[in-house]
Amino acid sequence: MANLVALHHYQQERRATWIVSRVRRPRFSPRTRSMSDLALDIRNVSKQYAEHVAVNDLSLAVPRGSVYGLLGPNGAGKTTTIRMVLDIIVPDSGTITLLGEPHRTSGMTDRIGYLPEERGLYKKMQVRRVLRFLAQLKGVPAKVADQRIGEWLERLELKTAEKDWGLSKIDELSRGMQQKVQFIGTLVHDPDLVILDEPFSGLDPINAQSLKDSIVELKSRGKTVIFSTHMMDNAERLCDSVCIIARGKKVLDGAVEAVRTRHSGRTVALAVAGEWRDTVLPVLADRSLVSRVDDQNRHFEIEVAAGADPQLLLHRVIETGAEIQRFELVLPSLHQIFLETVGARGVEEGMSGHG
Amino acid sequence: MGKLGVVFQREYLERVRSKWFLLGTLLGPLFFLLIFVAPQLMGGRSASSENVAHILVLDATGSRMGARVADALREGYPTSPAPMVEKTSDSELPLAQDRAALLVQHSAIVGFLVLDSSTVAGRMATYSGRNATSMRDVEVIRNVVRQQVLSARMERAGIDPQQVAAFSKLRLEMRTQKIGDKGREKGSGTGAMLFGYAVAMLLYMMIVIYGQTIMRGVTEEKTTRVAEVVVSSVKTDVLLAGKVLGVGLVAITQVVAWIVLSLATMYYVLPIIQQSLGTPEQMLAARAAAQGADASSMVAGIPSISLGAAFALFCFFVLGFVLYASLFAAVGAMVNSQEDIQQAATPVMLLLVSSAIFMPPIMANPGGTLARTMSLIPFSAPILMPLRMTLVPVPWWEVTGSIVGVMLACVAAIWLSARIYRVGLLMYGKKPSLAELVRWVKYAR
Repeated sequence: MANLVALHHYQQERRATWIVSRVRRPRFSPRTRSMSDLALDIRNVSKQYAEHVAVNDLSLAVPRGSVYGLLGPNGAGKTTTIRMVLDIIVPDSGTITLLGEPHRTSGMTDRIGYLPEERGLYKKMQVRRVLRFLAQLKGVPAKVADQRIGEWLERLELKTAEKDWGLSKIDELSRGMQQKVQFIGTLVHDPDLVILDEPFSGLDPINAQSLKDSIVELKSRGKTVIFSTHMMDNAERLCDSVCIIARGKKVLDGAVEAVRTRHSGRTVALAVAGEWRDTVLPVLADRSLVSRVDDQNRHFEIEVAAGADPQLLLHRVIETGAEIQRFELVLPSLHQIFLETVGARGVEEGMSGHG
Repeated sequence: MGKLGVVFQREYLERVRSKWFLLGTLLGPLFFLLIFVAPQLMGGRSASSENVAHILVLDATGSRMGARVADALREGYPTSPAPMVEKTSDSELPLAQDRAALLVQHSAIVGFLVLDSSTVAGRMATYSGRNATSMRDVEVIRNVVRQQVLSARMERAGIDPQQVAAFSKLRLEMRTQKIGDKGREKGSGTGAMLFGYAVAMLLYMMIVIYGQTIMRGVTEEKTTRVAEVVVSSVKTDVLLAGKVLGVGLVAITQVVAWIVLSLATMYYVLPIIQQSLGTPEQMLAARAAAQGADASSMVAGIPSISLGAAFALFCFFVLGFVLYASLFAAVGAMVNSQEDIQQAATPVMLLLVSSAIFMPPIMANPGGTLARTMSLIPFSAPILMPLRMTLVPVPWWEVTGSIVGVMLACVAAIWLSARIYRVGLLMYGKKPSLAELVRWVKYAR
C-alpha cells in the first residue's frame, strides 16, 4: 500500500477505468440491495470455548456504505466475531445477517474481502498466481482475475516499466510489497463488504496513511468497511460508527459523534504554562473533583468526577494562580471513552491471545 | 470451476511445476535401476571378494581334511589370499584357537575355521572371524566344508578320487517358474518376487513421500497464516479434499512417468549395459551371482497381471494414499512449526513403517497366517495386500474384504482428520495434548 499517497491523483484519474473494468454480478441487483440497509446485522451472538466465553450475547449493526470500527483490547472477542461473520467458526447461538441475507447463504463469503490480522501468503508461489488463486477462490473467472490483477499491480506500482514484480515469487518481495499484494488479494474480487482485522498493526506511517486513503476510497465507491483496531486515533478519524467490546461483551456502540456527545460534559481540556504544571497537580489529584486525568505533560485531559461541577474545578485551578492557557469543556476522545468504559482492568485481562 | 477445483488446481500445478518434481521424475527410474541392479552386480563381485578365503584352518581331525578344505577354497576363490592350514590336536586346540584369535585381532587373517572330529562326523565346524556376520561368506565356507566332508566319505567308501572330484564339481542353477490360478505364468518366480517387492516398495514410498508433502503443505499454510485467508473463502473440508486429490494426482502423474521412463530404460538402455558387461572378468562375477536373477531375466520376468488385479492395485494405491494423506494432514494442522512436525508425525509413520517391516517375512511366506492377517489389517493392507497379490493367488473375497476394510478406515480417518484440521488450522500456540485433541474432535462445528 506504500506510496498510495503519492499515487492519489493518479488513482483519481484511473478510477474511471477501474470502475468500468469491474464485473457486475447479477445477484447484486438493486432489488437485493433494497432489502436491507444494513451490511452486517449481528443479533445476540455467543461463542463459548472450553475454558472461556469468547463472545457473549453480542449485537451490532453496520449500515451499508459506512466505515465501522470494532474496538476493544486484545482478547476482547474481535477476531472471534469476525471469524463468525466469515463463517470460519459457527456461533453457539444468535443470528448473523450479511447484506440482507443469512450469513451462511452459499456464495456469501465471495462478496466479502477479508484481511486477517495474521498475514501471510504462499512464499514459493508467483505473485500473479497467488492473486489469481485468491480471486478464483472468490468465484472470479481466471480471465477476469488476470486482467484485474494486472491493473492492481500497476496501480500499486508493483509493475513498472523496469520490473514486473507480479512474475516474482512472494518471498522475493520486500515486506511492504508483500503487504500490498495481500491488500490486492483482499480486494481483487471487488467485494461489497471489506473486513480488515487490525489492518494498521505492523504498518509504517506511509503505509498506514495509504491504507486510510484506501478505506476512504472504498467508502466513496459505496463499499462497507469494517475494521478492528485498538488504535483509537485511527478509529476516531476514520469511522462513521464504532462498537467497543471488552471481554466478549458490547460496551457501547453507535455513530462516533453520538458516542462522543453522549459522554460529553464531563471532560475538560486544560493547558497551563509550562512552569505552572506542578502547581495544578495537587488540584487534579483531588478525587472528589477529578475522577481521572490523562496527563499529556503540557496538556491534561480531565474527567470530572460524578456529581462534581466543572466550574468548581475551574475555580480551584484559578486559585492556584497558575497561568491558564486553555480550559474547555470538550467532547471526549474515543481514547478517553475507551479507557473510561473498558478500564484498565479490561485491557489487562484480555492480554491472552486472539480477540 | 468450483472451489474444490481451484484448490485442486493450485495443489497440482504448483507441485508439478517445481523443479524438484521434474528432477525426481527424471532420476526416479535411474534410482530404481540402481536399487534393483546394483545389489546383484555388487553381490556378484563380493562373492569372489578378496578375503573370503583369507583364513586359518585349524585342523584337529588328524586327517588331511584341513588341507582339502584349504585347497578347495584356494581353487574356488583365486582372487583371495590363500588359506593357511595348521595341524593341531584336540588337546592343543584351545591354545591354537587363542593364537588364531590374536591373529584375527591384528588383522593378519580374516578369521579361522576349526575342523575336528565332529566335522568329520558331518555335524559341526566352527568359524570365527571378522566376517562371521556376513551370511554370504559363511555360506561359502560352509558349502566348501560340506563338499569336502562328502568327498572324504565317498573316497573312504572306495570311490575313485578322480570320480569324486568330477561329482563334486557340481554347480546347480535353479530356474523358477510361478504357477498361478491360470496355470504356468510367463516369467520366472524371482521376477514375480522382484515385481511384487517393487510394487509394494513403490506404494510405500509414494505414500510416505506424498503424505508428508501434504503434511508440510498444511503446516506451511498454517505457519505463514495464509490458511486464514483461504478458509474465509472456502470450507476447510473442501480445502482438505482439494489438497489430498491434488497431491494424489501428482503422485499418480509421477508413477506413470516413472513406469514409462523405466520401460524405456529397460528396453533401450539395459541391453547396452549388458553388452558392455560382457567382458571376461565381469562374466566371472555374473557366474557367482547365478543364484540371483540377472538383468535380462528381470526384464522378461515381469509377470503379466490381469486387468482385475491391476484395478485392485490401483484401488489400494488410491485408498492407501487417501487414508494416510488425511492422517498426515491432521498432523500438519496440529503443529505450529516445521520443527515440531517430525515428532508429531511419529504415530502415523510408525503405522506405515510397520507395514514395511513386514515385507520380508511376507515375501518369504506369502501364504502364511502373518501374511493373511497383515494384508487384512486396514493400516498395512494398502501395501501388503498388493505385495501378496503379486506373489501368490489371493482369493477374491480376501481382496474385496481388504479393500472394504481400507475404505472403512478411510472414512474414519477422513472424519477424524477433517475435524482436527478444521480446528487446528487456526489454532496457534502450543501443540495440543491428547485430551485437547479429543476436545477438538468433539467440538468441531
